[in-house]
Amino acid sequence: MNAPDRYERFVVPEGTKKVSYDRDTKIINAASFTIEREDHTVGNVLRMQLHKDPNVLFAGYKLPHPLQYKILVRIHTTSQSSPMQAYNQAINDLDKELSHLKSVFEDEVRRHSRDF
Amino acid sequence: MEGISYQRFPKVKIREMKDDYLKFELRETDASMANALRRVMLAEVPTLAIDLVEIEVNSTVLNDEFIAHRLGLIPLTSDRAMSMRFSRDCDACDGDGQCEFCSVEFTLNVRCTSDHTLDVTSTDLRSSDPTICCPVDVAARATAALDPNSAYDPSEQRGIIIVKLRRGQELRLRAIARKGIGKDHAKWSPAATVTFMYEPDIHINEDLMETLTLEEKRSWVESSPTKVFDIDPNTQQVVVVDPEAYTYDDEVIKKAEAMGKPGLVDINAKEDSFIFTVESTGAIKASQLVINAIEILRQKLDAVRLSLDTEECDEQFGELGAHLRGSAV
Repeated sequence: MNAPDRYERFVVPEGTKKVSYDRDTKIINAASFTIEREDHTVGNVLRMQLHKDPNVLFAGYKLPHPLQYKILVRIHTTSQSSPMQAYNQAINDLDKELSHLKSVFEDEVRRHSRDF
Repeated sequence: MEGISYQRFPKVKIREMKDDYLKFELRETDASMANALRRVMLAEVPTLAIDLVEIEVNSTVLNDEFIAHRLGLIPLTSDRAMSMRFSRDCDACDGDGQCEFCSVEFTLNVRCTSDHTLDVTSTDLRSSDPTICCPVDVAARATAALDPNSAYDPSEQRGIIIVKLRRGQELRLRAIARKGIGKDHAKWSPAATVTFMYEPDIHINEDLMETLTLEEKRSWVESSPTKVFDIDPNTQQVVVVDPEAYTYDDEVIKKAEAMGKPGLVDINAKEDSFIFTVESTGAIKASQLVINAIEILRQKLDAVRLSLDTEECDEQFGELGAHLRGSAV
Protein backbone atom coordinates (compact mmCIF):
# COMPACT_ATOMS: atom_id res chain seq x y z
CA MET A 1 0.00 0.00 0.00
CA ASN A 2 1.41 3.38 -0.96
CA ALA A 3 -1.33 5.53 0.54
CA PRO A 4 0.10 8.65 2.21
CA ASP A 5 -0.44 8.98 5.96
CA ARG A 6 -3.69 10.71 6.83
CA TYR A 7 -1.97 13.19 9.10
CA GLU A 8 0.08 14.54 6.18
CA ARG A 9 -2.83 16.89 5.62
CA PHE A 10 -2.25 18.83 8.82
CA VAL A 11 1.20 18.06 10.19
CA VAL A 12 4.04 20.18 8.82
CA PRO A 13 6.76 17.81 7.56
CA GLU A 14 10.11 17.96 9.37
CA GLY A 15 12.58 20.37 7.89
CA THR A 16 9.87 22.54 6.35
CA LYS A 17 8.96 25.98 7.66
CA LYS A 18 5.36 26.68 8.60
CA VAL A 19 5.53 30.09 6.97
CA SER A 20 8.01 31.10 4.32
CA TYR A 21 8.45 34.56 2.94
CA ASP A 22 9.15 35.47 -0.64
CA ARG A 23 9.85 39.08 -1.50
CA ASP A 24 8.80 40.21 -4.97
CA THR A 25 11.92 41.00 -7.01
CA LYS A 26 10.26 43.53 -9.30
CA ILE A 27 7.80 45.42 -7.10
CA ILE A 28 8.81 47.22 -3.92
CA ASN A 29 6.66 46.38 -0.89
CA ALA A 30 5.14 43.30 -2.44
CA ALA A 31 5.66 39.78 -1.16
CA SER A 32 4.03 36.40 -0.95
CA PHE A 33 3.85 34.18 2.09
CA THR A 34 3.56 30.42 1.76
CA ILE A 35 1.76 28.91 4.70
CA GLU A 36 2.14 25.15 5.00
CA ARG A 37 -0.75 22.93 6.08
CA GLU A 38 -3.38 25.67 6.22
CA ASP A 39 -6.50 26.25 4.13
CA HIS A 40 -9.42 28.64 3.61
CA THR A 41 -10.04 28.82 7.38
CA VAL A 42 -6.90 30.88 7.96
CA GLY A 43 -6.43 32.20 4.42
CA ASN A 44 -9.75 33.95 4.12
CA VAL A 45 -9.84 35.39 7.62
CA LEU A 46 -6.31 36.75 7.13
CA ARG A 47 -7.12 38.26 3.73
CA MET A 48 -10.22 40.04 5.04
CA GLN A 49 -8.26 41.45 7.97
CA LEU A 50 -5.53 42.70 5.60
CA HIS A 51 -8.22 44.48 3.56
CA LYS A 52 -9.01 46.60 6.63
CA ASP A 53 -5.53 48.08 6.57
CA PRO A 54 -5.49 51.22 4.35
CA ASN A 55 -1.76 50.72 3.71
CA VAL A 56 -2.47 47.42 2.01
CA LEU A 57 -2.93 47.97 -1.72
CA PHE A 58 -3.52 44.32 -2.49
CA ALA A 59 -4.09 41.23 -0.40
CA GLY A 60 -5.20 37.88 -1.71
CA TYR A 61 -4.78 34.21 -0.98
CA LYS A 62 -5.03 31.03 -3.00
CA LEU A 63 -5.13 27.33 -2.37
CA PRO A 64 -3.05 26.24 -5.38
CA HIS A 65 -4.29 22.65 -5.48
CA PRO A 66 -6.59 20.62 -3.19
CA LEU A 67 -3.89 17.98 -2.78
CA GLN A 68 -1.15 20.47 -1.93
CA TYR A 69 -1.82 21.31 1.67
CA LYS A 70 -0.64 24.90 1.61
CA ILE A 71 -1.88 28.40 0.84
CA LEU A 72 -0.20 31.41 -0.76
CA VAL A 73 -0.94 34.87 0.66
CA ARG A 74 0.15 37.77 -1.50
CA ILE A 75 0.41 41.28 -0.04
CA HIS A 76 1.28 44.58 -1.69
CA THR A 77 1.49 47.66 0.53
CA THR A 78 2.20 51.38 0.23
CA SER A 79 5.65 52.68 1.15
CA GLN A 80 4.30 53.60 4.62
CA SER A 81 4.17 49.92 5.48
CA SER A 82 5.67 46.62 4.39
CA PRO A 83 4.10 43.24 3.61
CA MET A 84 5.69 41.80 6.72
CA GLN A 85 4.43 44.61 8.94
CA ALA A 86 0.92 44.32 7.49
CA TYR A 87 0.97 40.54 7.94
CA ASN A 88 2.06 40.78 11.59
CA GLN A 89 -0.47 43.52 12.24
CA ALA A 90 -3.30 41.44 10.76
CA ILE A 91 -2.42 38.43 12.90
CA ASN A 92 -2.14 40.56 16.04
CA ASP A 93 -5.52 42.16 15.39
CA LEU A 94 -7.19 38.82 14.73
CA ASP A 95 -5.59 37.40 17.85
CA LYS A 96 -6.96 40.26 19.94
CA GLU A 97 -10.37 39.96 18.30
CA LEU A 98 -10.50 36.26 19.19
CA SER A 99 -9.41 36.85 22.80
CA HIS A 100 -12.14 39.46 23.08
CA LEU A 101 -14.68 37.13 21.47
CA LYS A 102 -13.73 34.33 23.84
CA SER A 103 -14.21 36.42 26.99
CA VAL A 104 -17.45 37.93 25.67
CA PHE A 105 -18.76 34.47 24.80
CA GLU A 106 -17.82 33.00 28.18
CA ASP A 107 -19.52 35.91 29.98
CA GLU A 108 -22.64 35.39 27.88
CA VAL A 109 -22.69 31.65 28.64
CA ARG A 110 -22.40 32.40 32.38
CA ARG A 111 -25.11 35.07 32.20
CA HIS A 112 -27.37 32.76 30.23
CA SER A 113 -26.96 29.77 32.58
CA ARG A 114 -27.72 32.02 35.56
CA ASP A 115 -30.87 33.59 34.05
CA PHE A 116 -32.49 30.44 32.68
CA MET B 1 6.98 49.34 14.11
CA GLU B 2 3.57 48.90 15.75
CA GLY B 3 0.86 50.34 13.52
CA ILE B 4 -2.61 51.44 14.45
CA SER B 5 -4.96 48.62 15.29
CA TYR B 6 -7.85 47.62 13.02
CA GLN B 7 -9.24 45.25 15.60
CA ARG B 8 -12.97 44.61 15.89
CA PHE B 9 -14.93 43.98 19.05
CA PRO B 10 -17.59 41.38 18.24
CA LYS B 11 -20.72 41.04 20.33
CA VAL B 12 -22.47 37.81 21.26
CA LYS B 13 -26.01 37.12 22.40
CA ILE B 14 -27.18 33.62 23.25
CA ARG B 15 -30.78 32.87 22.33
CA GLU B 16 -31.12 29.25 23.33
CA MET B 17 -28.73 26.95 25.10
CA LYS B 18 -28.99 23.23 25.79
CA ASP B 19 -26.21 20.74 26.33
CA ASP B 20 -26.21 19.66 22.70
CA TYR B 21 -27.79 22.69 21.04
CA LEU B 22 -26.90 26.35 20.89
CA LYS B 23 -28.37 29.28 19.00
CA PHE B 24 -26.61 32.62 19.22
CA GLU B 25 -26.15 35.94 17.48
CA LEU B 26 -22.69 37.09 16.48
CA ARG B 27 -22.44 40.78 15.62
CA GLU B 28 -19.89 43.36 14.55
CA THR B 29 -17.56 41.04 12.72
CA ASP B 30 -17.48 39.78 9.15
CA ALA B 31 -18.33 36.63 7.23
CA SER B 32 -14.72 35.45 7.09
CA MET B 33 -14.63 35.23 10.90
CA ALA B 34 -18.03 33.53 11.09
CA ASN B 35 -17.00 31.03 8.42
CA ALA B 36 -13.62 30.37 10.03
CA LEU B 37 -15.39 29.53 13.29
CA ARG B 38 -17.85 27.26 11.49
CA ARG B 39 -15.05 25.44 9.68
CA VAL B 40 -13.03 25.00 12.88
CA MET B 41 -16.03 23.65 14.79
CA LEU B 42 -16.71 21.06 12.08
CA ALA B 43 -13.19 19.89 11.35
CA GLU B 44 -10.60 21.03 13.88
CA VAL B 45 -11.93 20.81 17.42
CA PRO B 46 -10.44 17.62 18.89
CA THR B 47 -12.48 14.80 20.41
CA LEU B 48 -11.85 11.17 21.31
CA ALA B 49 -12.94 8.25 19.17
CA ILE B 50 -12.05 4.60 18.96
CA ASP B 51 -9.16 4.30 16.53
CA LEU B 52 -7.57 0.90 17.14
CA VAL B 53 -9.45 -2.35 17.69
CA GLU B 54 -7.94 -5.70 18.58
CA ILE B 55 -10.50 -8.44 18.08
CA GLU B 56 -10.05 -11.59 20.16
CA VAL B 57 -13.21 -13.46 19.26
CA ASN B 58 -15.74 -12.51 16.65
CA SER B 59 -18.32 -15.10 15.71
CA THR B 60 -20.98 -12.53 14.85
CA VAL B 61 -22.49 -12.02 11.39
CA LEU B 62 -20.49 -8.81 10.89
CA ASN B 63 -16.84 -9.00 9.87
CA ASP B 64 -14.04 -7.51 12.01
CA GLU B 65 -13.50 -4.29 10.04
CA PHE B 66 -17.23 -3.65 9.89
CA ILE B 67 -17.38 -3.77 13.70
CA ALA B 68 -14.22 -1.68 14.05
CA HIS B 69 -15.79 0.99 11.84
CA ARG B 70 -19.03 0.98 13.84
CA LEU B 71 -17.07 1.30 17.09
CA GLY B 72 -15.18 4.29 15.69
CA LEU B 73 -18.40 6.15 14.96
CA ILE B 74 -19.70 5.95 18.56
CA PRO B 75 -19.40 9.45 20.06
CA LEU B 76 -17.36 9.46 23.28
CA THR B 77 -17.35 12.14 25.98
CA SER B 78 -14.34 14.31 25.21
CA ASP B 79 -14.25 17.13 27.77
CA ARG B 80 -10.59 16.36 28.40
CA ALA B 81 -9.60 16.09 24.74
CA MET B 82 -8.32 19.68 24.53
CA SER B 83 -5.65 18.98 27.15
CA MET B 84 -4.77 15.49 25.89
CA ARG B 85 -1.98 14.71 23.44
CA PHE B 86 -2.22 13.43 19.91
CA SER B 87 -0.64 9.97 20.00
CA ARG B 88 1.59 10.88 17.04
CA ASP B 89 3.40 13.46 19.19
CA CYS B 90 3.19 11.72 22.55
CA ASP B 91 6.61 11.17 24.12
CA ALA B 92 5.46 8.97 26.99
CA CYS B 93 4.56 6.05 24.75
CA ASP B 94 6.81 6.68 21.72
CA GLY B 95 3.78 7.26 19.55
CA ASP B 96 2.33 3.77 19.77
CA GLY B 97 -0.70 5.51 21.29
CA GLN B 98 -1.31 3.37 24.33
CA CYS B 99 -0.58 5.54 27.35
CA GLU B 100 -2.75 7.56 29.71
CA PHE B 101 -1.77 10.91 28.15
CA CYS B 102 -3.01 10.10 24.69
CA SER B 103 -5.47 7.22 24.87
CA VAL B 104 -8.28 5.50 26.75
CA GLU B 105 -8.78 1.76 26.63
CA PHE B 106 -12.10 -0.03 26.20
CA THR B 107 -12.97 -3.68 26.43
CA LEU B 108 -16.05 -5.47 25.23
CA ASN B 109 -16.98 -9.02 26.11
CA VAL B 110 -20.43 -10.32 25.21
CA ARG B 111 -21.77 -13.81 24.56
CA CYS B 112 -25.35 -14.74 23.77
CA THR B 113 -26.62 -17.73 25.71
CA SER B 114 -30.38 -17.39 25.28
CA ASP B 115 -32.72 -17.99 22.34
CA HIS B 116 -33.55 -14.28 22.17
CA THR B 117 -31.52 -12.00 19.91
CA LEU B 118 -29.01 -10.10 22.02
CA ASP B 119 -28.13 -6.52 21.16
CA VAL B 120 -24.51 -5.55 21.73
CA THR B 121 -24.62 -1.82 22.44
CA SER B 122 -22.38 1.01 23.56
CA THR B 123 -23.41 0.23 27.15
CA ASP B 124 -21.42 -3.02 26.89
CA LEU B 125 -18.19 -1.11 26.31
CA ARG B 126 -16.10 -1.01 29.49
CA SER B 127 -13.92 2.08 29.74
CA SER B 128 -10.61 1.96 31.61
CA ASP B 129 -11.56 5.35 33.09
CA PRO B 130 -15.28 6.23 32.76
CA THR B 131 -14.74 9.68 34.32
CA ILE B 132 -12.56 10.70 31.38
CA CYS B 133 -14.17 8.95 28.51
CA CYS B 134 -17.24 6.80 27.90
CA PRO B 135 -19.94 6.59 25.21
CA VAL B 136 -22.17 9.70 25.35
CA ASP B 137 -25.38 7.77 26.00
CA VAL B 138 -23.77 6.06 29.00
CA ALA B 139 -22.66 9.44 30.34
CA ALA B 140 -26.16 10.89 29.80
CA ARG B 141 -27.65 8.03 31.80
CA ALA B 142 -25.16 8.57 34.63
CA THR B 143 -25.91 12.31 34.89
CA ALA B 144 -29.67 11.67 34.69
CA ALA B 145 -29.42 9.21 37.58
CA LEU B 146 -28.00 12.01 39.76
CA ASP B 147 -30.74 14.49 38.84
CA PRO B 148 -34.25 13.38 39.91
CA ASN B 149 -35.93 16.22 37.96
CA SER B 150 -34.47 15.35 34.58
CA ALA B 151 -36.80 14.43 31.75
CA TYR B 152 -34.51 11.58 30.73
CA ASP B 153 -36.26 8.23 30.53
CA PRO B 154 -33.77 5.34 30.75
CA SER B 155 -36.31 2.78 29.51
CA GLU B 156 -36.40 4.59 26.15
CA GLN B 157 -32.63 4.51 25.83
CA ARG B 158 -31.14 1.21 24.75
CA GLY B 159 -27.70 2.45 23.80
CA ILE B 160 -26.09 2.55 20.39
CA ILE B 161 -26.35 -0.85 18.75
CA ILE B 162 -23.06 -2.28 17.50
CA VAL B 163 -24.16 -5.76 16.42
CA LYS B 164 -26.86 -8.35 17.21
CA LEU B 165 -26.05 -11.86 18.42
CA ARG B 166 -27.96 -15.16 18.25
CA ARG B 167 -27.40 -18.11 20.55
CA GLY B 168 -23.77 -19.18 20.75
CA GLN B 169 -22.30 -16.11 19.06
CA GLU B 170 -19.64 -14.11 20.85
CA LEU B 171 -17.79 -10.83 20.54
CA ARG B 172 -14.67 -10.10 22.56
CA LEU B 173 -12.33 -7.21 21.80
CA ARG B 174 -10.06 -4.48 23.07
CA ALA B 175 -10.31 -0.96 21.65
CA ILE B 176 -8.15 2.14 22.01
CA ALA B 177 -9.74 5.59 21.80
CA ARG B 178 -7.44 8.38 20.66
CA LYS B 179 -7.60 12.09 20.22
CA GLY B 180 -8.18 13.32 16.69
CA ILE B 181 -9.83 15.98 14.54
CA GLY B 182 -12.64 15.92 12.01
CA LYS B 183 -10.24 16.82 9.20
CA ASP B 184 -8.59 13.42 9.68
CA HIS B 185 -11.79 11.38 9.90
CA ALA B 186 -15.41 12.47 10.40
CA LYS B 187 -15.70 10.21 13.47
CA TRP B 188 -13.70 12.85 15.37
CA SER B 189 -16.01 15.71 14.43
CA PRO B 190 -17.76 17.03 17.57
CA ALA B 191 -20.39 18.86 15.54
CA ALA B 192 -23.54 17.36 14.08
CA THR B 193 -24.38 20.61 12.28
CA VAL B 194 -23.04 24.13 12.42
CA THR B 195 -24.79 26.77 10.33
CA PHE B 196 -24.89 30.52 10.22
CA MET B 197 -27.12 32.91 8.33
CA TYR B 198 -27.08 36.63 7.72
CA GLU B 199 -29.72 38.45 9.72
CA PRO B 200 -32.21 39.90 7.21
CA ASP B 201 -33.31 43.53 7.35
CA ILE B 202 -36.86 43.76 5.98
CA HIS B 203 -38.54 47.08 5.13
CA ILE B 204 -42.08 47.16 3.80
CA ASN B 205 -42.97 50.20 1.72
CA GLU B 206 -46.15 51.05 3.68
CA ASP B 207 -47.44 53.67 1.22
CA LEU B 208 -47.20 51.27 -1.70
CA MET B 209 -48.63 48.45 0.42
CA GLU B 210 -51.74 50.54 1.16
CA THR B 211 -52.52 50.69 -2.55
CA LEU B 212 -53.13 46.92 -2.48
CA THR B 213 -56.54 45.39 -1.80
CA LEU B 214 -56.87 42.92 1.05
CA GLU B 215 -57.10 40.10 -1.51
CA GLU B 216 -53.86 41.24 -3.17
CA LYS B 217 -52.10 41.53 0.18
CA ARG B 218 -53.18 38.03 1.08
CA SER B 219 -51.90 36.60 -2.18
CA TRP B 220 -48.61 38.48 -1.75
CA VAL B 221 -48.17 37.16 1.81
CA GLU B 222 -48.97 33.65 0.55
CA SER B 223 -46.28 33.91 -2.14
CA SER B 224 -43.51 33.49 0.43
CA PRO B 225 -42.62 29.80 0.86
CA THR B 226 -41.84 30.39 4.54
CA LYS B 227 -44.06 32.33 6.91
CA VAL B 228 -42.26 35.66 7.03
CA PHE B 229 -45.23 38.03 6.67
CA ASP B 230 -48.79 38.01 7.92
CA ILE B 231 -51.82 40.26 7.88
CA ASP B 232 -52.84 41.94 11.11
CA PRO B 233 -56.48 40.87 11.61
CA ASN B 234 -57.45 44.22 13.17
CA THR B 235 -55.72 46.81 11.00
CA GLN B 236 -55.46 44.59 7.89
CA GLN B 237 -51.88 45.77 7.47
CA VAL B 238 -49.06 43.50 6.33
CA VAL B 239 -46.62 42.89 9.16
CA VAL B 240 -43.32 41.02 9.42
CA VAL B 241 -43.89 38.14 11.83
CA ASP B 242 -40.60 36.28 11.52
CA PRO B 243 -37.77 37.93 9.58
CA GLU B 244 -35.45 34.97 10.19
CA ALA B 245 -37.81 32.61 8.41
CA TYR B 246 -36.79 34.39 5.20
CA THR B 247 -34.57 32.15 3.11
CA TYR B 248 -33.37 34.81 0.64
CA ASP B 249 -35.50 33.13 -2.02
CA ASP B 250 -36.67 36.45 -3.59
CA GLU B 251 -40.17 35.00 -4.10
CA VAL B 252 -41.94 37.98 -2.51
CA ILE B 253 -39.87 40.40 -4.59
CA LYS B 254 -40.72 38.55 -7.81
CA LYS B 255 -44.35 38.47 -6.75
CA ALA B 256 -44.36 42.22 -6.12
CA GLU B 257 -42.90 42.81 -9.58
CA ALA B 258 -45.45 40.46 -11.15
CA MET B 259 -48.19 42.46 -9.44
CA GLY B 260 -46.77 45.62 -10.96
CA LYS B 261 -45.56 46.96 -7.61
CA PRO B 262 -41.77 46.80 -7.67
CA GLY B 263 -40.17 48.12 -4.49
CA LEU B 264 -43.04 46.90 -2.32
CA VAL B 265 -40.54 45.35 0.03
CA ASP B 266 -36.83 45.93 0.51
CA ILE B 267 -34.83 43.05 1.98
CA ASN B 268 -31.14 43.28 2.74
CA ALA B 269 -28.75 40.95 4.50
CA LYS B 270 -26.95 42.70 7.37
CA GLU B 271 -23.33 42.07 6.43
CA ASP B 272 -21.97 42.10 9.98
CA SER B 273 -24.59 40.14 11.83
CA PHE B 274 -24.93 36.36 11.96
CA ILE B 275 -27.25 33.86 13.56
CA PHE B 276 -25.45 30.63 14.43
CA THR B 277 -26.97 27.28 15.23
CA VAL B 278 -24.62 24.67 16.66
CA GLU B 279 -25.61 21.07 17.29
CA SER B 280 -23.16 18.83 19.07
CA THR B 281 -22.85 15.04 18.85
CA GLY B 282 -22.68 15.02 22.65
CA ALA B 283 -18.90 14.59 22.76
CA ILE B 284 -18.54 18.20 23.97
CA LYS B 285 -21.24 20.59 25.18
CA ALA B 286 -22.34 22.94 22.38
CA SER B 287 -21.22 26.03 24.32
CA GLN B 288 -17.84 24.46 25.06
CA LEU B 289 -17.53 23.54 21.39
CA VAL B 290 -17.73 27.22 20.42
CA ILE B 291 -15.21 28.20 23.11
CA ASN B 292 -12.83 25.45 21.95
CA ALA B 293 -13.24 26.56 18.34
CA ILE B 294 -12.27 30.13 19.24
CA GLU B 295 -9.24 28.84 21.12
CA ILE B 296 -8.18 26.53 18.26
CA LEU B 297 -8.49 29.32 15.71
CA ARG B 298 -6.32 31.49 17.93
CA GLN B 299 -3.71 28.75 18.17
CA LYS B 300 -3.78 28.35 14.40
CA LEU B 301 -3.17 32.06 13.91
CA ASP B 302 -0.38 31.99 16.47
CA ALA B 303 1.24 29.16 14.53
CA VAL B 304 1.32 31.17 11.31
CA ARG B 305 3.22 34.06 12.88
CA LEU B 306 6.51 34.72 11.15
CA SER B 307 9.48 33.10 12.80
CA LEU B 308 12.22 35.43 14.00
CA ASP B 309 14.89 34.27 11.55
CA THR B 310 12.56 35.03 8.62
CA GLU B 311 12.02 38.53 9.96
CA GLU B 312 15.71 39.20 10.57
CA CYS B 313 16.59 38.00 7.10
CA ASP B 314 14.08 40.46 5.69
CA GLU B 315 15.36 43.38 7.76
CA GLN B 316 18.83 42.95 6.30
CA PHE B 317 17.33 42.72 2.90
CA GLY B 318 15.19 45.80 3.64
CA GLU B 319 18.24 47.87 4.60
CA LEU B 320 19.97 46.78 1.46
CA GLY B 321 16.88 47.62 -0.55
CA ALA B 322 16.60 51.05 1.08
CA HIS B 323 20.28 51.65 0.38
CA LEU B 324 19.89 50.70 -3.26
CA ARG B 325 16.78 52.81 -3.64
CA GLY B 326 18.49 55.74 -1.92
CA SER B 327 21.53 55.59 -4.18
CA ALA B 328 19.37 55.35 -7.26
CA VAL B 329 17.81 58.77 -6.61
